[in-house]
Amino acid sequence: MTKRQKKNLYRILIAAVLMVVLHFVPLEGVAKGVLYLIPYLVVGGDILKKAVQGIGNGQLMDENFLMAVATVGAMILGEYSEGVAVMLFYQVGELFQSYAVGKSRQSISALMDIRPDSANLEKEDGSLEVVDPEDVPVGSVIVIKPGEKVPLDGQILEGDSFLDTSALTGESVPRRASAGDEVISGCINQSGLLRVRTTKEFGESTVAKILDLVENSSMKKAKAENFITRFARWYTPAVCIGALVLAILPPLVLGGGFGTWIFRALTFLVISCPCALVISIPLSFFGGIGGASRCGILVKGANYLEALASTGVVVFDKTGTLTRGVFQVSRVHPSQFAEEELLECAALAESYSSHPISQSLRSAAKKNLDKSRVSEVQELAGRGVKALVDGRPVAAGNLKLMEELGLQVTPCEECQGGTVVHVAVDGVYAGHILISDQVKPGAKEAIAGLKAAGVKKTVMLTGDAKDVADRVAAQLGLDEVHSELLPADKVEWVEKLLEQKPKDQKLAFVGDGINDAPVLSRADLGIAMGALGSDAAIEAADVVLMDDDPAKIALAMRISRKCRRIVHQNIVFALAVKAACLILGAIGIANMWAAIFADVGVMVLAVLNATRMLSKKV
Amino acid sequence: MKKTFKLIDLDCANCAAKMETAVKKIPGVKDATVSFMTQKMTIEAEDAQFDQVVKEAVAACKKVEPDCEVVVK
Repeated sequence: MTKRQKKNLYRILIAAVLMVVLHFVPLEGVAKGVLYLIPYLVVGGDILKKAVQGIGNGQLMDENFLMAVATVGAMILGEYSEGVAVMLFYQVGELFQSYAVGKSRQSISALMDIRPDSANLEKEDGSLEVVDPEDVPVGSVIVIKPGEKVPLDGQILEGDSFLDTSALTGESVPRRASAGDEVISGCINQSGLLRVRTTKEFGESTVAKILDLVENSSMKKAKAENFITRFARWYTPAVCIGALVLAILPPLVLGGGFGTWIFRALTFLVISCPCALVISIPLSFFGGIGGASRCGILVKGANYLEALASTGVVVFDKTGTLTRGVFQVSRVHPSQFAEEELLECAALAESYSSHPISQSLRSAAKKNLDKSRVSEVQELAGRGVKALVDGRPVAAGNLKLMEELGLQVTPCEECQGGTVVHVAVDGVYAGHILISDQVKPGAKEAIAGLKAAGVKKTVMLTGDAKDVADRVAAQLGLDEVHSELLPADKVEWVEKLLEQKPKDQKLAFVGDGINDAPVLSRADLGIAMGALGSDAAIEAADVVLMDDDPAKIALAMRISRKCRRIVHQNIVFALAVKAACLILGAIGIANMWAAIFADVGVMVLAVLNATRMLSKKV
Repeated sequence: MKKTFKLIDLDCANCAAKMETAVKKIPGVKDATVSFMTQKMTIEAEDAQFDQVVKEAVAACKKVEPDCEVVVK
């Protein structure tokens, strides 16, 4: 509790005790009123003062004024205990609101707090000095001890360790890091001592970028929030006018005393306070952004979280997003030999080549390849290689090479969508190996997850060849695929898709942030994945996935939908309770007590509902 | 120029919204947001007028909520 909250708590307690005491004092009339003024002023003095100040400042409709009029009115009508009690409960509500909201704000902020406190700067004589990360120049050497946060981006000079990236990516499996590797600020060094040469200033480092993004996220307000603040602007005056009408009209029309009706009108004034309405919306979105960031999904604003929830079309870039963007041996079809033998043979023949295809053959062969087994290597540009392996002539390359050797090869049905390496040994066809870009594990489930989350259409745009693209699309179950596109074509396609989609749906583009910044900004919602350490992607996108797991897209959608549900629940609930109170107040069933309880109750439930966003279950 | 200010003892979400409206009305202010959740106010205004604008913004916030303090560094 802050100092002010404590002071208010004491005032409430003193007033409450006085109330109980006064209950047993046998006094009537004016004397009773004067006595009740003591707890009233103790608990509500500041409200009265602020109400008077407010009138001076032209703030006629603020809460203080409304509460002052309502309670003073009750006192004048002789409802002393009522007047004091309403003020008392109003203050309890305010205190609770300030405490609860402060608490949940803190816990959400703590979730996003990845700021490193200090860095161990190594000086020229080898001694360490603890300094503020902001004071470390680029190129200096820092030491990160086990258990410490990495304070700045850099490259490891010495040491071996595991890095816990969960604060950034939500991924709980630690990453291995050793000399030569890049480290990213915000990770936690788990096991070994690391000496790191910094490559960025603090202001430019990953952690500063992310913090900046998160800090600013609540500045971009969602439509729902703007709606409710606009609503509050006319709601309060409207209810006040209603109160005035209620105080004057019924007694004139129906006859009878003004007393009851004025009392009911005062109840209206209590109900007209809009804070419970207004608070629940930003709190829910803030919780949503906080909950997402703990899963490694950074949302740059409440408006984007809102847009994500109504996404109907998701457009994917292929390489690096749905596929891993690395070439690997995916099939080995020997006509003779065993699979490993064929692979080893091809890898040996290509062992002197630096072509990516040769590299993937070598990494697939796994075994240590003894280069001394290979001789007379001939690289044939655009066709492949010929070499002697263990004294036997081996040729590895494309169909053209096989034709040159006079071998008849029928193209294999299964080996489509990649590069095929054919192998001939001793002048006889030995089989072929398919090398292709691999679909990311979990990509198919991710697409299915998006569909389940309510996405109507999934589209893939790629610069790759048609057969490769079609094969990947079929494998993943995508609705549409457009291949052989240049970067500019991708923008055009996104524009076309934007026109085609229904108005109430949003279009999201998912890319890896490399070369697709124009598309990311053209789409309603740009999602960059694998953005850890990529500044360009963090700048260009609206939603940033810190790792490159496609399942995170569906998770982000589920989080956004949950957030939207909670926002809607809070709006409907708060409005419904307010409306019910107004009706019950007008016909005299709900008195001021009920009204104030309703107000505090709605607020508490809205706050509790919003904190559901922090749970990991979606 | 765009600058962010911390707000202390901003206890009411509706007041935050009212402050935002009030600050936006100050001549010279291009854009302003008051975030209740982060307890921060961002003001965007012309460099030449900035100090004047900030002064007026602080006064406007005081009018809406006398308890709330704007930290001007």
